[in-house]
Amino acid sequence: MSHSILSALSEDLLVRVYGFLDPPCRKTWRLVSREFHRVDSLSRTSIRILRVEFLPALLFKHPNLSSLDLSVCPKLDDDVVLRIALDGAVSTSRLKSLNLSRATAVRARGLETLARLCRALERVDVSHCWAFGDREAAALSVAAGLRELKMDKCLSLSDVGLARIVVGCSKLNKISLKWCMEISDLGIDLLCKKCKDLKSLDVSYLKITNESVRSIALLPKLEVLEMVSCPLIDDAGLQYLENGSPSLKEIDVTRCDRVSSSSLISIVKGHPDLQHLKASHCISEISLSFLHNIKALKHLKTLWIDGARVSDSSLLTLSASCRALTELGVSRCVGVTDIGMMGLARNCSNLKALNLACCGFVTDAAISAVAQSCLNLESLQLESCHLITEKGLQSLGCYSKRLQELDLTDCDGVNDRGLEYISKCSNLLRLKLGLCANISDKGIFHIGSKCSKLLELDLYRCAGFGDDGLAAISRGCKSLNRLILSYWGELTDTGAEKIRQLEQLTHLELRGIKNITGTGLAAIARGCKKLAYLDLKQCENIDDSGFWALAYFSRNLRQINLCNCSVSDTALCMLMSNLSRVQDVDLVHLNRVTVEGFEFALRACCNRLKKLKLLAPLRFLLSSELLEVLHARGCRIRWD
Amino acid sequence: MEPEDDLCQNNWGGSSSSSSSKRREQVCFTSQHKWEDASILDYEMGMEEEPAFQENSNNNNGGQVNVDFLQGVRAQAWDPRTMLSNLSFMEEKIHELQDLVHLMVARNGQLQGRQEQLVAQQQQLITTDLTSIIIQLISTAGSLLPSVKHHNMSTAPGPFTGSALFPYPREANNLASQTLNNNNNNTCEFDLPKPIVVEEEHEMKDEDDVEEGENLLPGSYEILQLEKEEILAPHTHFCTICGKGFKRDANLRMHMRGHGDEYKTPAALAKPNKEAVPGSEPMLIKRYSCPFPGCKRNKDHKKFQPLKTILCVKNHYKRTHCDKSFTRSRCHTKKFSVIADLKTHEKHCGKNKWLCSCGTTFSRKDKLFGHIALFQGHTPAIPLEETKPSAQKGSSACENSNNNNTGMVGFNLGSATNAIEEVAQPGFMDGKIRFEDSFSPLSFDTCNFGGFHEFPRPMFDDSESSFQMLISSACGFSPRNGGESVSNTSL
Repeated sequence: MSHSILSALSEDLLVRVYGFLDPPCRKTWRLVSREFHRVDSLSRTSIRILRVEFLPALLFKHPNLSSLDLSVCPKLDDDVVLRIALDGAVSTSRLKSLNLSRATAVRARGLETLARLCRALERVDVSHCWAFGDREAAALSVAAGLRELKMDKCLSLSDVGLARIVVGCSKLNKISLKWCMEISDLGIDLLCKKCKDLKSLDVSYLKITNESVRSIALLPKLEVLEMVSCPLIDDAGLQYLENGSPSLKEIDVTRCDRVSSSSLISIVKGHPDLQHLKASHCISEISLSFLHNIKALKHLKTLWIDGARVSDSSLLTLSASCRALTELGVSRCVGVTDIGMMGLARNCSNLKALNLACCGFVTDAAISAVAQSCLNLESLQLESCHLITEKGLQSLGCYSKRLQELDLTDCDGVNDRGLEYISKCSNLLRLKLGLCANISDKGIFHIGSKCSKLLELDLYRCAGFGDDGLAAISRGCKSLNRLILSYWGELTDTGAEKIRQLEQLTHLELRGIKNITGTGLAAIARGCKKLAYLDLKQCENIDDSGFWALAYFSRNLRQINLCNCSVSDTALCMLMSNLSRVQDVDLVHLNRVTVEGFEFALRACCNRLKKLKLLAPLRFLLSSELLEVLHARGCRIRWD
Repeated sequence: MEPEDDLCQNNWGGSSSSSSSKRREQVCFTSQHKWEDASILDYEMGMEEEPAFQENSNNNNGGQVNVDFLQGVRAQAWDPRTMLSNLSFMEEKIHELQDLVHLMVARNGQLQGRQEQLVAQQQQLITTDLTSIIIQLISTAGSLLPSVKHHNMSTAPGPFTGSALFPYPREANNLASQTLNNNNNNTCEFDLPKPIVVEEEHEMKDEDDVEEGENLLPGSYEILQLEKEEILAPHTHFCTICGKGFKRDANLRMHMRGHGDEYKTPAALAKPNKEAVPGSEPMLIKRYSCPFPGCKRNKDHKKFQPLKTILCVKNHYKRTHCDKSFTRSRCHTKKFSVIADLKTHEKHCGKNKWLCSCGTTFSRKDKLFGHIALFQGHTPAIPLEETKPSAQKGSSACENSNNNNTGMVGFNLGSATNAIEEVAQPGFMDGKIRFEDSFSPLSFDTCNFGGFHEFPRPMFDDSESSFQMLISSACGFSPRNGGESVSNTSL
């Protein structure tokens, strides 16, 4: 009967209905019928490929793809790309966005092929490809229509490569060069001369000087400038920005050691429409003149002044004039007390994010005031605020219904009652309770029973609770995908059985848990199929049965830390060969594994490893051709 | 630091015990040392750290010392107390010198008939001490005028520089250093032979351009014009005895020494025309004309610009009016008529490693980037040599291991044939653990691992992405079959 109803719906109606579904439902949709599956195939615009084997088939099935994510596809290399190109059946002409982050095995040839295949390409992400150098940049510059390019940590990229991209892709309006350590003033200067449409530029951590800022100031359309931790830029450089880049909306000068408030004042003077000012850990004090100029910014939304000396009166003046403020960072600020916070809460009722980490003088009164007036509060960081008790948390539970993120790491005042209050924030997505010593099963039970949307829970070194608390979590927080239980002594195999029920779990840290054995790990592996990150460092009692189970079930595992585990030769080899998506492995201090064991295990997975940590002596014991192959495939080895 | 300090102190102590009348040379050194020691005392801050300052007790580098000394003074902020101690020190020094001269006068009375050498030594001794006093005085005065640069002080004619002894303070420094040197005690210090400056040909080559700015009134100089043959002759200086030719006058003089002792005297070895007799009238300046008619350097040209030296004439004539006979051995693109130009070119050729896509090369990166910024569509070229290794690194490494049967193939294809080959490799049998079917990923599925068959094998796993399926072969990628064919080969 249902079949007939569904067949009455026309294809375009189905497509419209499909458009309203969110991703998990689309999976179910696909299974309904052939027709539904076809609709899904045709309507799908973005895809993340986990296994390179399926890439050609998937590209063939989904002709309307506009976004392709290959960042978690460990075996992708030049040959695969070339074969796809030769295949010809694949339509990639609509592809606009390509994510090649960490695809270190794709070199110049592959990139050029990709750039030629995808003619409409606009966004490319090649971040964390340490092998991405000038040749690769030259290959990528074939994609002339490129608008956005992310090249974070492309360590081999130099000015020459950047020049190639700049000349080839002159329509760029967003580029990130974070940690491209070879880039110098010359490259930045050329970038600013050739790409006049640039709107967003990230030059964080580069060794560039004031000359670069002078060039950047000439960009007419620049809106976002991030220059975190540029040690060579000082006030004289920032002063170029006062009269330059007229449409600047956001600037980040966090940890620029030689920048003082005087140059920030000049920037503020030149840009009355500035919306985001991030100056954490670079100004030591909020001076009167700085305050006076900040007051003029009527549209200021974000202000980060972490680490500066802020008096209550200056906080009051600030909040009285910048009422549009939605995000304030005053972590590690000396001088922030209840009076200032209460004034802020009164004035800036739109506040969405507040960072008060390490503001030791903030008490419940301030938190209550913030909770009562800032009803839109979404993120609150209270790390190491030791004076916070259950009272403050009570008002948070009462008023902050939109709270999504709460960091209570190292807050001694948090107890079971406090957790009970917090559990009323039913929209909570991320909760950090690391190092809170006064919580027990009862408190955790409240969280587990009420915060059903929780995605991330950090219980690092929480001593006071046992398997029962974990049972409540696993029953209630079904969507949890990140769980940190490191150094939590009481966890046993019974607890591991509970973790098993968290099927969405992708990130699990079990560091230093001695009571868990092979049985426990086997249970986790069997239940948490999506597990991508697993930290088992110093879990000494897990025997091979656990690792075998892991090898059989956790096929999605991408990163694994096995340091100090008692894994045997065979188990390690099996793990490394069967975990076909593993990219990042830590294999330090494995006492039961012989050199031959390492050799075989690494040979089994050498075509997909991207990062590897080994004990230094192995460098001379492992065969040289293995190390060569690893290097050629783009694997970085850290010798410990 | 310590031993040198000690050395200095010992010298001072030892020599001070010896009477100045006994050994004048010794006294001479002593006084110098004393001076330095005293200055160390005066400027105890910083000066003691100066290594050059203390090492000079063995080194005859007196001039260096004094420069350091002056810099030390300049480095300090002006301090009246320092000044006072300087002045009193100078006073003491002058008294000492006075005493010494008194002593000499007394001795002279006694030792009338002693050698001339002794007289010279005495003279030298006094000179040295006077020099150091003068330097001290100048430096003290210099510290009074902080704005006056040390260079100006030492080159500008000061109150003492007018004296017949030291035409220039810097020479006084040199002199002080020379007096320290006991090799020189037989020669007269005052006409120290200047080091012969050997004029390198290529150093001079720009000179015909440099002198453009020289505005000599026509007629204020004498114009000489050499003939073409004379200019192009390889040698200009000829030995009058054997007829051998030389390019340089100095070389000729060196050669002449072989013809007899009379050519070895300082007068014969001295550079002619350099030591103009003070009394004689100033010589007319000589300038040269190019013999090529119509050349700007020819004296008949309307805007005649003379050439300064013979060397300029030679280089000019060769560059402008001769064939370029010297070619590059490597690139054969450039030709030169003056060999020095070729050498200079070779020095810089090949350094133009910054290459633009248009073919232009640059010696500096910033020049290349300036060029690229200027022209539309030009990009920096990446040298071809780097291409091969980086682009084919991955595949070549695989091929390598393929040839050696070292296992890479086994992983890539998981085929049994490779596995067998691998077993045949002796190196792989050594391992403690032995995998029967090689360690190709397939083998783990077929291997019987104890009781672990009880695990139900998930065939399709809908996780993280809907398109993710499980396969057991680690990398059974084949381009033509795509995803469908990846079904378990092992099962």
